[in-house]
Amino acid sequence: MATTRSVQLRVNGIAYERSVEVRKTLVDFLREDLGLVGTHVGCEHGVCGACTILLNGETARSCIMLAIQADGTELMTVEGLASADGKLHPIQEAYRDEHGLQCGFCTPGFLMTTYELLQAIPNPTVEEIKDWLSGNICRCTGYKDILESVQLAAARARGEDVVPTSQREHA
Amino acid sequence: MVDTGAKLPSDLPITQPRYVGQDVPRVEDPMLLTGRVEYGDNIRLPGMLHAAILRSPHARARIVRIDASKAEALPGVAAVLTGEDVKQWSHPVFGVPEGWTGYALATDLVHWAGEPVAVVAATDRYIAEDAVDLIEVEYEPLEPIVDPERAMAGGPFVLEGKDTNIAYQRHFEFGDIATAFGEADHIVKERFRWHRTSGNPMETCVCIADWDPFSNMLTIRGSHRSPHLILPALINALGMPSNQIRIVQSPLGGSFGVKTFARYIVLISLMAKKLGGRTVKWTEDRIEHLIGNSSHAWDRYHECELAIKNDGTITGLRMRMVDDFGAFAEWLGVGMVLKPMISFSGCYKIPCFDYQCYAVLTNKVPQGPYRGFGLPSHYWILEQLIDIAARELNLDPIEVRRKNFIPKDEFPYTLPSGNIYDSGDYASSLDLLLEKSGHAELKKEVEEAQSAGRLVGLSVVSSIEPGLTGPPMLVHLSPRIFTRTASPEGVLVRMDAFGKVIVEVGFPWGGQSQHTFVRQIVADYFNLTPDDVQVITVDSLTMQPGTGPISSSVAIALSGAMMGGLVRLAEKLKQGAAVMLEVHPDDIELFDGMMRVKGAPEKGAPVTRVAGFMQMRPDLLPEGVDASTEAVYVWNPPDRSLPDEQGRGVYAVTAAGALHLCMVEIDRDTGQVEIFKYVMVDDCGTRLNPSVVAGMLQGGLAHGIGNALLEEYVYGDDGQILTSTYMDYLLPTIKDVPMAEEYEMVTPSPITALGVKGIGEAAIHTAPAAILCAVNNALEPLGVRITEAPATPLRLWRTIQGVAE
Repeated sequence: MATTRSVQLRVNGIAYERSVEVRKTLVDFLREDLGLVGTHVGCEHGVCGACTILLNGETARSCIMLAIQADGTELMTVEGLASADGKLHPIQEAYRDEHGLQCGFCTPGFLMTTYELLQAIPNPTVEEIKDWLSGNICRCTGYKDILESVQLAAARARGEDVVPTSQREHA
Repeated sequence: MVDTGAKLPSDLPITQPRYVGQDVPRVEDPMLLTGRVEYGDNIRLPGMLHAAILRSPHARARIVRIDASKAEALPGVAAVLTGEDVKQWSHPVFGVPEGWTGYALATDLVHWAGEPVAVVAATDRYIAEDAVDLIEVEYEPLEPIVDPERAMAGGPFVLEGKDTNIAYQRHFEFGDIATAFGEADHIVKERFRWHRTSGNPMETCVCIADWDPFSNMLTIRGSHRSPHLILPALINALGMPSNQIRIVQSPLGGSFGVKTFARYIVLISLMAKKLGGRTVKWTEDRIEHLIGNSSHAWDRYHECELAIKNDGTITGLRMRMVDDFGAFAEWLGVGMVLKPMISFSGCYKIPCFDYQCYAVLTNKVPQGPYRGFGLPSHYWILEQLIDIAARELNLDPIEVRRKNFIPKDEFPYTLPSGNIYDSGDYASSLDLLLEKSGHAELKKEVEEAQSAGRLVGLSVVSSIEPGLTGPPMLVHLSPRIFTRTASPEGVLVRMDAFGKVIVEVGFPWGGQSQHTFVRQIVADYFNLTPDDVQVITVDSLTMQPGTGPISSSVAIALSGAMMGGLVRLAEKLKQGAAVMLEVHPDDIELFDGMMRVKGAPEKGAPVTRVAGFMQMRPDLLPEGVDASTEAVYVWNPPDRSLPDEQGRGVYAVTAAGALHLCMVEIDRDTGQVEIFKYVMVDDCGTRLNPSVVAGMLQGGLAHGIGNALLEEYVYGDDGQILTSTYMDYLLPTIKDVPMAEEYEMVTPSPITALGVKGIGEAAIHTAPAAILCAVNNALEPLGVRITEAPATPLRLWRTIQGVAE
């Protein structure tokens, strides 16, 4: 049995073709073979969500998928969000404005999940946000600022002129 | 100490601070949001090898034989490190009290299931893990020691050569305990059990080591912090000179105490030594983190008594606490059994207390630091005892608290243990909490729900966060090693020839926004913008004396260090300004970014131009003044003292008071707890960046919920850990954590720069008490209570059903 196989895929719009060990996880392939280290490894058993990426537009845990399973797919990672001129994606902007991150290690996974959520539901309720983000673990923020980040991103996408809660007057 | 002249932000040399005290966006965020931060595991160096660790399957066993020949023969494997190498090249890892640890790798005995037994280095991690499976180890299994009370009573002993499993014990008595308990109207007695939990940062530990055999230079990179603390441990274990060890800090994907630790760094350094100059990286996987590292904390059995008068005046507190410490008393971990002494009576004025504490070794993962360093369980117990007392005396639990609060006119307040609380106003915090939460309405709601048979409960609790504790407490563990009161923090502040500022700090990025704070303070001091300030984290060869982010020190230590450094730099720049303005340096003052002549404010020069002038025209500077436009300042906590023989000492710097309210409902059929209201009032003095403080509190609340309801490391009677994945060890998700309301009380610290107090651990101190007291309030109509944390659904269901575990 061959231990390596050729994989062709697109990541953040760029086409790659690589020979990869069949047992290599997708997250290790992204980080080690493609140098896309923005996707982080938190638990390696599919619980924490730090390694979340978009695979053909849907979130996937890249730590419990093999690289060869991504053959022929279109991936998006955190590196694909911001534009090359240094402008953050509106979701990233919202997380910054709402203090939706502290150590930042889980953040790429949250951003990708938020991206999928807002594509599916542009105007999510609090309960919908909680449902969608319940598979991502953050140990720093206690989630409140993350929830508000998602709400801010959604409101701005709807064209509303919203003041981030973090810039409102404190109690 | 430099007199910074800035007790409060309003004392800064600027008309109106523009950044200190504001929600300044964090400098850390753009890189974190775009995945561009170089976390330890992102580092790839030329020729770098990858390590994997073989771990013991037994809790206690003798290693009879290790045969690594098949592993060594596997293509791609560079070397295998075993106990023989480790014995030859190192000493047992550091710990206080001294002599209660083992080597970084098991040599003869294995002490817990998960202890490292061998390390493989190979060209990639997959091959290294294949090789781990090829190592043959013959074990002679021994009966594991799992029950701490039995371990205290006698043998067998966890460590060879010892005749006890009690690594540390101490009995502190402050005040007249006998009289307090002899004359009390009422004594509340209860036992409490707090199970093992831990910090679980989302980034696991990473260590990259390079030991150059020609220069004998060891370079360590990775996810550690506080190189000031790790360096002595490496010197101790490896016998290396300090200037031949370079510890480089990467940004941290969280730590919560777990990464202030050296055993795995010693281990990977030894692997590097065996590799003769090839760099090796080890990235801990999550299961290793859960079963193998020194990442567990607080596995406690408490017996407590509270003495109280009929009018609710608390007169004494007695506690015996046994902490199941795991296999080693390593690092500074045993300090966690001492920390409750520092703020034993919380926000209350309790004239005497009696504290017996034990750190007992068993065949489990050794304990290591975790956010709170041992206090969260303590406040839960204190608050629970007060609730029980109020119930038994038929008093309002809130009024009992109010009655016993340290009055605001008694600060600075000295506890019977000698520790001093710098400032506070707990009664006003309580008033604010009751008002903002609509407590009267909530109470009515609870009463109605309870009379309708629902298990709804409400609590109001308090805690103290003793900011920046440290060496004075550790003196008890080793008077030989800890002879100091210092917890220094040094910075270097430089203004370059273009008027931009560079600051070197010992703090890595770790989520606490430390680089953002530095930029805010510098910007207001020199009337610049945060973007004019670049902050750099230094390594162990370039660092000033320091301590790093421990014990909620970030705001306290950085404010002190930065203000001292800025004052010193300003004094230097005045020398140049005096030349430019043709006056004596004593006649120059800094204000709004101008070096101006006192009494003639229209005559001045921008400070940014002065720096350029000094560097470009040293020929014009007077004798004794050079072109250096940088200053170093090493801050130290003021007013601390070493403990006396009774244990009385000034252990901490600040005391941040917290008042929290929690409302819960328990599902009678499942034992599930729902938190539907959570309100916090915290007083950390000046808030350098309110959003950051609010984030710390909300995040600490999540940790508190984990400890109170979800997280627990479970061991079987055979010493095997049963919670080795996140399917068994449950971390709070967004569905478990309430979106708390948070309100500020501000009593600025009179002893820190800018009036700040430590706040990073406040909410994990308070939340378990708030949640579990509310749970027990909900159980009150059933006449039962839960005295075990976490209050998992099963435990609660059994309590409700009256079924013993």
